Amino acid sequence: MSKDGSYFFYTTLLSEATKWSCKNSLWPMPFGTSCCGIEMMSSLSSTYDLARFGSEVVRFSPRQADMLLVAGTITTKMAPVLRTIYDQMLEPKWVVAMGACSSSGGIFDTYSVLQGIDEIMPVDVYIPGCPPIPEGLIHGILYLQRIVDEGLPRHQAKRPTYEDAMSAMSFRKKEKQGGVQCQK
Amino acid sequence: MSKVEKLKTLFPDLKIETDKANGPIVWIDNCKNLFSVLEKLKHEKEFLLNYLTDLTAYDNVDHHDGDKRFVLVYQLFSMETKTRVRFKILANADDHDQNKIITLVNHYPAANWMEREVYDMYGIIFYGHPDLRRILMDERFVGHPLRKEYDIKDRQPFPDNMKINLERRSVPLS
Amino acid sequence: MNQSEKINLSDFYNPNVLVNLGPSHPAMHGTLRVMCRINGETIEESKCEMGYLHRAIEKLGETKTYHQWMVYTDRLNYCSALNNNIAYAMTVEKLMDITITERCMWIRMICMELSRIIDHIICVAINALDMGALTVFWVLYRWREEAYTMIEAMCGMRLTTTYARIGGMSYDLPEGFEKMLEKFCDEFPRALEETEGLLSSNRIWIDRTKNIGRLSKEEAIRLSATGPVLRASGVDFDLRRDVPYYGYSDLNFDVVIGTHGDVYDRYLVRMEEMRQSVSLLRQCLKRLNKGPLWVDDKRVRIPEKMDVYTKMEVLIHHFKFFMDGIQVPEGECYNAVEGPNGELGFYIVSRGGPKAWRMRIKSPSFVHYQIMENTLKNEKIPDAVSILGSVNIIAGELDR
Repeated sequence: MSKDGSYFFYTTLLSEATKWSCKNSLWPMPFGTSCCGIEMMSSLSSTYDLARFGSEVVRFSPRQADMLLVAGTITTKMAPVLRTIYDQMLEPKWVVAMGACSSSGGIFDTYSVLQGIDEIMPVDVYIPGCPPIPEGLIHGILYLQRIVDEGLPRHQAKRPTYEDAMSAMSFRKKEKQGGVQCQK
Repeated sequence: MSKVEKLKTLFPDLKIETDKANGPIVWIDNCKNLFSVLEKLKHEKEFLLNYLTDLTAYDNVDHHDGDKRFVLVYQLFSMETKTRVRFKILANADDHDQNKIITLVNHYPAANWMEREVYDMYGIIFYGHPDLRRILMDERFVGHPLRKEYDIKDRQPFPDNMKINLERRSVPLS
Repeated sequence: MNQSEKINLSDFYNPNVLVNLGPSHPAMHGTLRVMCRINGETIEESKCEMGYLHRAIEKLGETKTYHQWMVYTDRLNYCSALNNNIAYAMTVEKLMDITITERCMWIRMICMELSRIIDHIICVAINALDMGALTVFWVLYRWREEAYTMIEAMCGMRLTTTYARIGGMSYDLPEGFEKMLEKFCDEFPRALEETEGLLSSNRIWIDRTKNIGRLSKEEAIRLSATGPVLRASGVDFDLRRDVPYYGYSDLNFDVVIGTHGDVYDRYLVRMEEMRQSVSLLRQCLKRLNKGPLWVDDKRVRIPEKMDVYTKMEVLIHHFKFFMDGIQVPEGECYNAVEGPNGELGFYIVSRGGPKAWRMRIKSPSFVHYQIMENTLKNEKIPDAVSILGSVNIIAGELDR
């Protein structure tokens, strides 16, 4: 219905319509573990309202959600639980790794912390920050909407290796090897 | 008379030190001694220790504080007289018979999980504990993390098809 | 047909069901697990399991220097990060025999009371949210954002602040901070009145929280409860008044005590403690004076940037400071602070040198979770959720 009240038709492909409805109604399953969980709660509350972008209902059941928002440190004790929840979600599903701890282990490089949830599941968006401010989370969700729209594939972030770190010091070696590939 | 001096007069044969915050540290060599000292201090007018603040341990691998491997630390507090007293016992992981470490659960029930954590992190066995099993680490974890020889980055993966053993450990009762 | 032979019909009539609450559960309390054996909806036996957020912060204390470890103290009770930083800095200062300046002391007390307010806001809001009272969450959370704006003006970060340094603070208070804080103190009690109007005499809230999770006075002392949980059970004890540290002996405040020790009392204790914190903030603001922020001790004072860029010795001093770490003498110290959740204590054993030998964190949530295991007997499952919310278990502090 147009603004003056008269009806109109809008023709498009079914896939485009599905994508449009998917990206504007991403229902998150918040998996808030630690500090990032508090910032996630902040972004779900009224000042930085995440419901404006479609995440109106926060579903705590994996069967009813289509976006898994992992916020916080995941330990090796918690990893099988997280994997079960990921498996229980129905396609199409997206995974957002919020914060440094779920992207790469963060400041905790210890015997009990998983160094990034991409060790156990494919991740779509990595949001850096410790914790990322709510605007950062919103930026990540908007990027996820772009991913849904364009159908970008998900890939694991390429971790820089020792050779990358050593060659970063010297400009010439970097030129020769073509530089370090960083995924966004 | 300060608390340290009062303790020295009460227990002349125990080694008593002062820490940086001017609180008393009492060294005890045997668990049974600890219980008798605690009983006495529970009714002593200037101390009235009725609150267990903390029960922990630290690794004494360089034998700086004594000739045994670990040092058990008990922090006690009194709500009435507002005094803090710290008790320390030297212990090995596999002490038994005369030197064995008896649980504090019957005197201060708050010690239940604290002793489980000390067992989990260091491997010290508390005799008579109702339910001594791992609390922070997974049940299938091998080793005791807070010991100095355990490397901090030594990760142990747990494949999901491994059965978790949650039965009670058979801890010999005193 | 072996399977059907093994299932007896009587199994279906057995009222005892084993149910897991968590570790991923709708109550936003982080990763806890309560294994219950229920009969109908009454919990007959329960065992609480933890360790799903064990990040080896204590072991990291043995490998990082004293300043580097300050970052990890934020992540303990992440709802009130300023408090943890200050408690840790206080312990190391006691170990090194350093007395901080007066301005630094009042700034630290302002930070501690502000973090007490925001932690209590989270506790009450989430407790209400778990029981379905969503309006309280919206009403109170806005004030957390106001407090966050102030904290961000102070130190640049909203949640994980790392504000305190050993011997001083990282930045001085910005200009206009006192006005912001006064405005907060004037307007915040109105939100408390709104919340009390929504909850305190609400029939539904009273029915859901009165006589739930009772903890008697003797049980609370025997099980080492601390903080609002201890005070709601009727024990008249507050570390700020009884073992005073910093300037608390000069300030006037009341210690809030409950009677029954149930969820309703803990809620009332927290609401009143927020009011007391606002009055404490006003008193601290009055006493805040101009003066040096850092203690004049060469062992810990981080030199000014302009001196580092211009003078050689100061440059070397700064380099050794941050490359080696501060040299802490041998000894040990236990220092406890009245945090919003209870008694937060740090026990540091030092054998000399830049790294600690043992860093022990005495966290209040650890003992409270143990208490919860005892109080869950004969409660119903929805009541278990409200008890969990009232005891304010923060998983970061619980598992360290």
